[in-house]
Amino acid sequence: MNRALRLTALRVRRQFLDWSGGWWFTLTLVANEAIGPLVGLFVWSTVFPDDRRVISYFVALIAVQLMTASYENHTFSETVYQGTVSHELLKPQPVIVNPIGENLAIRIWMTLFGLPLTVLTGLGLGSSYRWPDLLLAIPALACAAILRFLFTWILALTAFWTERVHAVVTFGSVLISLLGGAAAPISLLPAPWRAIAVALPFHAMLGLPADIATGAVDGPAAAVALARGLAWILVFTALAVVVWRSGIRRYTAVGA
Amino acid sequence: MPKLLRLFAAGFSMSLRRTVTFRTNLFFDVALAVAGVLSALVTIVLVFTRTEHLAGWTKPEMFVLAGTFQLLTGLKAAFIDPNLAWFPGRGIREGTLDTYLLQPAPSLFLASFATAAPLALVQALLGLGVVGLGISIHGHPPGPLGIAAWLVLLVVGAAITWAPRLELDVFYGATWQLGRYPVDVYRRPLRLLLTYLIPLALIATLPAGALLREPDPAVMLASTAAGVGATLLATGVWRLGLRRYTGATS
Repeated sequence: MNRALRLTALRVRRQFLDWSGGWWFTLTLVANEAIGPLVGLFVWSTVFPDDRRVISYFVALIAVQLMTASYENHTFSETVYQGTVSHELLKPQPVIVNPIGENLAIRIWMTLFGLPLTVLTGLGLGSSYRWPDLLLAIPALACAAILRFLFTWILALTAFWTERVHAVVTFGSVLISLLGGAAAPISLLPAPWRAIAVALPFHAMLGLPADIATGAVDGPAAAVALARGLAWILVFTALAVVVWRSGIRRYTAVGA
Repeated sequence: MPKLLRLFAAGFSMSLRRTVTFRTNLFFDVALAVAGVLSALVTIVLVFTRTEHLAGWTKPEMFVLAGTFQLLTGLKAAFIDPNLAWFPGRGIREGTLDTYLLQPAPSLFLASFATAAPLALVQALLGLGVVGLGISIHGHPPGPLGIAAWLVLLVVGAAITWAPRLELDVFYGATWQLGRYPVDVYRRPLRLLLTYLIPLALIATLPAGALLREPDPAVMLASTAAGVGATLLATGVWRLGLRRYTGATS
């Protein structure tokens, strides 16, 4: 376990340094991730002009989106298409170490660039939070980060079967946006859809940390939501193992 | 001009044949286009469960606006993105622009329209369907003047879409998404920016407004001038760039 952690830390460091030269590209990623919640902020604050919680929610959502962004369809899936995943299979370490390391490095850079801009946006628009709520949102944020990675990783593994992994992952992003709280805060969904969205894993991937940070979900409700998120992590981990084993059996590479 | 049209048709035909070769991919692309349009409609329906108007637009009017946005997004994805997305990296830095410069056709035309992503037209067609749906719910069919103004503004929107793609690639994708709602939902500094400096209002807000309400001659004139200006600017920048370009291949 310690060895795997050390290898992951090394990979994070290496990828962090690799990405340090691409700050302009990182800014592009930040803009692309932030734009959805930002548009939501403007739309819903037009609908509820006097409700400050809407602004606070969407500003928190921008932060969550930046800190949980996952691009395994660009990083890992490309190695399947190019056949270079063979190199990783020959190394004496789990293949997933490198994608995790790269994922964390990208998220660190996006947080470094995006979080100050998000804070400035929040200050400019008058969002406000209570410290206890923010602290309570940290475990939910960690849960969202793990869930989002696992979800994207499972979808990225479809590269073993199809050339259209980007379409598959984009479809997943549409689900996260609609049912995760970006298109509309879950509390504003009509009755049957609200219950469905809460039960599915997408809310825990995106909207839950923002809901907790704004105090919309607190106390026992937050604990239940977090437990549900942890259960989804177990489900997705098991699913990732099954899909990986199945995919690797299908994988063939040609060449030296 | 007929020569350029023939070239365009030949490029499109090649792209279409390449696309339909891989039928499983075709399924994914069509499914994604449908999901994108449905998600836009669901979001609008969600918003209108809480309000009757969004920045002065009713639900059917928002459908028309969303359809117009999807229509132009589909056209952009079909004709503009496949050509210009790779351009700064491969065209200039790796020197593949040389290939176009050596061919007996205008280089700007080749760089902009040599290839296409025909399946993205599914999104444009779905967008057109959503415009039709919005108009039918709205209950007031637009007159010939409104339809003509809508078409003119779509062409202007396409020109505005094409011109900055040549110059401002970096934040293009993100900025484009701001066009999916009426510019009036954005706060004042951003609204002014999106109306005058980066005229994203031309993508959906102004064409949909012209189709649904009486087209304002002043807006039509200013929009057409902006479209012509953007095209001239892009052409000028292209020529200046070519003078500076030295090629990167041997």
